[in-house]
Amino acid sequence: MTTVRRTVLLMVAAAFAAPCAWGADQDPLADARSAYVASRYDDAITAYRRLTRSAPTSAEAARGLARALAETGRYDDAIAEAARYERRNPTVPHVANLHGELLAHRGRLDEAERQFRRALDGGAFDSLVARLNLLLLQQRRGDVPSAMQGFDRFIDIYNRNRNLSSAEIAAVATAVRQLGSRNPQLFQDALRAYDEAITTDGNNLDAQILVGDLFLEKYEGTEAREAFEAILARAPNHPRALLGLARTRRFAGSSEAMDHVNRALDVNPNLVAARVFRASLYAEAEQYEEAAREIERALEVDPGSLDALALLAAVRHLQGDRSAYETLRQRLLALNPRFAGMYVVLAEVSARNRLYQEAVRFAQEGVALDSTAWRAFALLGINQLRVGRMDRGRANLETAFAGDPYDLWTKNTLDLLDTLERYDLVETPRFRVAIDRKESALLALYVNDLAEEAYDRLAGRYGYRPDPPVRIEVYPSHADFSVRSVGLVGLGALGVSFGPVIAMDSPSARERGAFNWGSTLWHEIAHTFHLGLSSGRVPRWFTEGLAVFEERRARPGWGDGIDPGFLIAYRNGTLLPVSRLNDGFTRPTYPEQIGHSYYQASLVCELIERDHGVAAFTRMLRAYRDGQTTGQVFRSVLAIDLDTFDAVFDRYLRDRFAQPLDALKAAAPLGEGAGGGRHTPENLGRRAADPTDFVAQLAMGQMLVERGNPRGAITYLERAKELFPEYAGVSSPYWHLARAYTAMGDSARAVSELRVLTSLNGGHLEALLALAAHLDAHGDRAGVIEALDKAMYVYPLDVTAHRRLAELSEAVGEWPRAVRERRALLALDPVDRADALFRLAHAYFGARDLDQARTWVLRALEIAPNFGEAQDLLLEIHDARQAR
Amino acid sequence: MRAGVFGAIVLVTALTTPPAAYGQTYLVVIAGLGGEPGYRELFHEMGSSLVGAARERYAVPPENVFFFAERSERDAAITGRSTKANVESALIRIATSIEPQARLFVVLIGHGSAQGGTPRFNLPGPDMTASDFAALLARFPTQQIVFANLTSASGGFLAALSGPRRTVITATRSGTERNETLFGGHFVAALVDEGADADKDERVSVLEAFEYARREVIRAYDRENRLRTEHALLDDNGDGVGSHEPDPQRGDGAVARTQFLVATRPGMTATATDDPALAALYAERLELNRDIAALRLRKTDMAPDAYERELERLLLALARANRAIRDRESGAP
Repeated sequence: MTTVRRTVLLMVAAAFAAPCAWGADQDPLADARSAYVASRYDDAITAYRRLTRSAPTSAEAARGLARALAETGRYDDAIAEAARYERRNPTVPHVANLHGELLAHRGRLDEAERQFRRALDGGAFDSLVARLNLLLLQQRRGDVPSAMQGFDRFIDIYNRNRNLSSAEIAAVATAVRQLGSRNPQLFQDALRAYDEAITTDGNNLDAQILVGDLFLEKYEGTEAREAFEAILARAPNHPRALLGLARTRRFAGSSEAMDHVNRALDVNPNLVAARVFRASLYAEAEQYEEAAREIERALEVDPGSLDALALLAAVRHLQGDRSAYETLRQRLLALNPRFAGMYVVLAEVSARNRLYQEAVRFAQEGVALDSTAWRAFALLGINQLRVGRMDRGRANLETAFAGDPYDLWTKNTLDLLDTLERYDLVETPRFRVAIDRKESALLALYVNDLAEEAYDRLAGRYGYRPDPPVRIEVYPSHADFSVRSVGLVGLGALGVSFGPVIAMDSPSARERGAFNWGSTLWHEIAHTFHLGLSSGRVPRWFTEGLAVFEERRARPGWGDGIDPGFLIAYRNGTLLPVSRLNDGFTRPTYPEQIGHSYYQASLVCELIERDHGVAAFTRMLRAYRDGQTTGQVFRSVLAIDLDTFDAVFDRYLRDRFAQPLDALKAAAPLGEGAGGGRHTPENLGRRAADPTDFVAQLAMGQMLVERGNPRGAITYLERAKELFPEYAGVSSPYWHLARAYTAMGDSARAVSELRVLTSLNGGHLEALLALAAHLDAHGDRAGVIEALDKAMYVYPLDVTAHRRLAELSEAVGEWPRAVRERRALLALDPVDRADALFRLAHAYFGARDLDQARTWVLRALEIAPNFGEAQDLLLEIHDARQAR
Repeated sequence: MRAGVFGAIVLVTALTTPPAAYGQTYLVVIAGLGGEPGYRELFHEMGSSLVGAARERYAVPPENVFFFAERSERDAAITGRSTKANVESALIRIATSIEPQARLFVVLIGHGSAQGGTPRFNLPGPDMTASDFAALLARFPTQQIVFANLTSASGGFLAALSGPRRTVITATRSGTERNETLFGGHFVAALVDEGADADKDERVSVLEAFEYARREVIRAYDRENRLRTEHALLDDNGDGVGSHEPDPQRGDGAVARTQFLVATRPGMTATATDDPALAALYAERLELNRDIAALRLRKTDMAPDAYERELERLLLALARANRAIRDRESGAP
């Protein structure tokens, strides 16, 4: 894709930049030219057309008119203008190169080639650009070695000639850029040459486009964006700059990409690269038919567009249309038998749609076709890592990096692999768990058992067993996790499942208690089942919803819960229908939309379970595996069409949340007054006089608690709870009631609130710890153990919680848990190591594991031989071992 | 592993060496200028708990304990206001009467600075600089000195005060670490509370207290996901270069592990008795401790199973000896 895109842009660049270098002092042309540079294309067309009539021999007028027409997508009109000029001026070669480029836009490559040769042979002022275009054509057709030889000569041309025009220098830059695939240092030279072209002619916007494009290709998103924005500051309607900006936004993960490419296509509806880009956005959102329609429109303009054909092949592949895919593949190979870019597109699109094994296969085809296809090597390596082939993945990434050291994804991933050498690899029956050495002894105590439990339960539910070992990587650095997931830092997620490989944040990667890591792990393991069962073809919305649904079934209080923002979004009509729910994940239009989409998708799954039973999920996943669309899956498995399901789901939401929806009817956002200002006791008091206003009741209650009036807060908070009993967020009525009751010394009521809260929200660390503290004061050992045990799946780094859980487990004779907790305390690197070792030995002794008890007490006494309690335990262990 | 090696060395030196002359201990605690009520209270509490433990837990004679604080009127335990004049006067007075084998502990609690490159300890009135303390400590030419500056920006004191027979601790590695330190609170806690006695010999060495505080600081910063702005140092080999992770085998730590904030040698090192049977048990214990220490030094040369069996044999014997000692000491039949 990249190669072809560069080709097209180069042609356009060369065509549009050259005229600026000559005849600039002719006044009649000035207005036309300035209109063109300012992207006032209609004005430019009118002005140039007038000039072609008054000066029919003027090549610049003819070129200007053709260029302006081309910028608005009127390629055939532009070609006609060029042809008309040539008929009138058959001996003048100066329009031939542009003519060829216009023909190339329409896929008429043989005719284009004839025009380029005419420009070259006729000594046109832009013959050097024509020479480059011929080489690019050669490259496009697959004769890369010959093209490379030709590109290489441009360096000599540049070195011999100090009077090149801006367009000619840009042509040199582009030739050098092609050579960069053999010698990556030349990318720097290409950039310098583009800069020189721009310095030579500040109006050469096309060279600036190519600079932005080069930056983006080399992962310099910020610089690329600056380049495109600089062009748009002068030419706000420049379609290729708008497309470039769209691409930078996609690079940054912003949903603005679609807006910008839409604007580009408004200006030039025949801009093939923009059509292909928009199609790729649709494909990412799993809207394959929309993507295909977009590509068909691109192919109407240029039936030989390699990018468009490659993406269409990928879309057909994703749709499971083997025949169409194969036809397109053959067509592409006929156009360019060495077009590794096709497999790059296929691998990229497959990976974006979670088909990692297939991405590996396509990337392998790419490197087999072209041993210098560094992007294919990179995709091969990254996706091999995603499916757990660590050594091969690394080797291919090393190859990719040697060929293209600017590939940030590759570099980041190789750096990450270096850090993985610090990780311990822990084996369980079905998992291989990689955890940073500094926390593996602690986390493995919980991760291993939880993962095994999840595997068994999910295997039972789905009747499917992913091939072991599933690899789990736990990252103490969120940046490392992000690189593992997407190659770059900045990913907002907590975990990712590639199927055979799961990566996630360690609890130490985030603020204390910021997320429920146990629930996250369960979620990702669920994805592994979904991806395996559907052969990776499950849509994003369904696997996310199903994974959250599985979290809820794993433990009380796990999985996202309802919050007022979701219901307000529902009430305001901003939730998406099931048919478009994927957009909520891939192209969110407001900050909370991803979170809302997770919750909504989980409710869809709850509804499916209610109406069709849990077995429907397996059938749905298999139907996706067989290539069915969501609409087809709903019809074939659930016997319902999507519109009807949307209506049923809407009723389900309205019924299920009728009461809180009513209580949120007048809601302003929490924390703000009705008028948008901060709450004051006065305006809040007025609003809270309405006992059906949930937000006002909650805010008033919270304010009173914080102002030291817990007794006064109770009424409001109880009312808020009654209005929206499902809400158990961080700042829920339950939490503030617990605070109020605690402040009033009513521990029993505080416990009651905290029990409900933690049963609804198992990730509320402060509530779990507060509940444990209250219950401890009441002597409810079992209750404390339950609360602290839950807390370990949120934040297992709290020494105090481990110590108390260990002590109570010992006190009630729960020795296996006591052993786990004593091991955890030891893993937390206590200063008093001898004591920690002794207590672990004691727990093993309680569990009647005399050999382990002996081992650990010896370690304690090795440090502190005169440690009295440990000595006594050693004697006891010795006697017990003698007696057995 | 580091803890294990450290424990072995403590044993070798503390338990297998016959007790040397162990003179009296002197403690000077100076709580500096708080600047605001919260700090004033915190510094007072730290100093107060330290002198309280010295007097009660460690039986340091009250006349050997000096506590200077910002507000001398709030606590009868306070010797005087923490002014430069009072501190200088006290140290000069101690220097005139202290015996040659004695130990002097000086602990600075409060804020520090390094204005103009001069390390300072902020006091009511004129501050005291590292040079001021260097001049005062020069009056103790034969005594063991433990100087712990627990303030922010205290790193500059280390090179200025380093020397033979001196253990110098600073809460930071330089004068540029200017944020409030957590190290001081943990260092005091190590001496006051249970938990820092890593080798269970019933006393806390200066090295154990340093290690405890250093690791608790790391834990606290890790817990909050914050970058550490303090890196405590210890120097006891007189080279003027502090160690953040002292290793008695390779550099700093060998002296600090033998320094205790106690009046006399207590606990496991007891050897003197009129009871011949008890004396024999003491001798046996001493011998077993020597054997265990020696065994540990051979650990890397032995097969793991053989090492563990021999360790178990010696530890069982030691456990039985200690049990017999306890019984005998308590008069049990």
